[in-house]
Amino acid sequence: MSADTWRIGKHEMSSRFFLGTGLFPSPLVQQEAISASGAEVLTFAIRRVNLDAVEDDSILQHIEPGAFIFLPNTSGARTADEAVRIARLARASGLSDWVKVEISASERTLLPDPIETLRATEILVREGFTVLPYISDDPIICRKLEEAGAAAIMPGGAPIGTGLGILNPYNIGLIVEEAGVPVIIDAGLGTASDASLAMELGASAVLMNTPVAKAKDPVGMAKAMRMAIEAGRLAYVSGRMPKKRYASASSGMASLIVK
Amino acid sequence: MELIINGSKRELQLESRTLAEVIDKLGLSGKPVVAEVDGEVLVAEQWPAFAVMPGMKIELVHFVGGG
Repeated sequence: MSADTWRIGKHEMSSRFFLGTGLFPSPLVQQEAISASGAEVLTFAIRRVNLDAVEDDSILQHIEPGAFIFLPNTSGARTADEAVRIARLARASGLSDWVKVEISASERTLLPDPIETLRATEILVREGFTVLPYISDDPIICRKLEEAGAAAIMPGGAPIGTGLGILNPYNIGLIVEEAGVPVIIDAGLGTASDASLAMELGASAVLMNTPVAKAKDPVGMAKAMRMAIEAGRLAYVSGRMPKKRYASASSGMASLIVK
Repeated sequence: MELIINGSKRELQLESRTLAEVIDKLGLSGKPVVAEVDGEVLVAEQWPAFAVMPGMKIELVHFVGGG
């Protein structure tokens, strides 16, 4: 197979694994997990500096400068205006003009608010951001986000941090089928088979944080996810056999020695 | 000068009264922080020339772990 690369904006990538940077047990484990994942894109959140502990390590001190594309998110935002404000702050860092629009409408489920997400995407696209909205697995809202200029669409497999896997493979398949921009499965995955299924359904990439960071061995899980993503992608590209209702023998019945 | 920084009132002794001085006084010079004053995002190049006034709302944010 020739180099199976893909792109968002001007960035051509070979890894199909976006890795989050929250919840890791230590900076060292995080660094090793990043390395094992092969990820080229890392996600971050934007929060206030703790002015009473300014000497505390910035997370960026542990990340090799220039080696990754940074994808800051707008987590914590409840409206489009809040998300736009966070996105502008993130871009002012000079580190990235990519933004993951994440606007939660429910504290319990953290499910995205589709109306506000669409509004924020429209505004940020106009302002020249590379916008990757996190959204529900609804094919229609995904289409509308693409029409609004999203550089990729990122439907969730299940609510953030649940590890429930892909709850609606039919919808994800439909989203992939209809999308003209990369589809990245974001949120809700739990283990390697979930990542593999996402890729077998035709996703361009997978974004994960909790299933790696909260695994017993995050470095081992980062590697497992990387392999699952590669396996799922190769299976998708190679084209699986059709499912059949009844058995069909591998050797046929001709020249059988028993009658 | 009293400023509202990250949601809390804070009294700082300032000479040049610039945003760059505020950030320096807080021990954040050279760190990857981003500033917003009264809702306006200011990139680092703007800090030395930006005059702060009493009561201004300053937000200082940075990248943290997230997914």
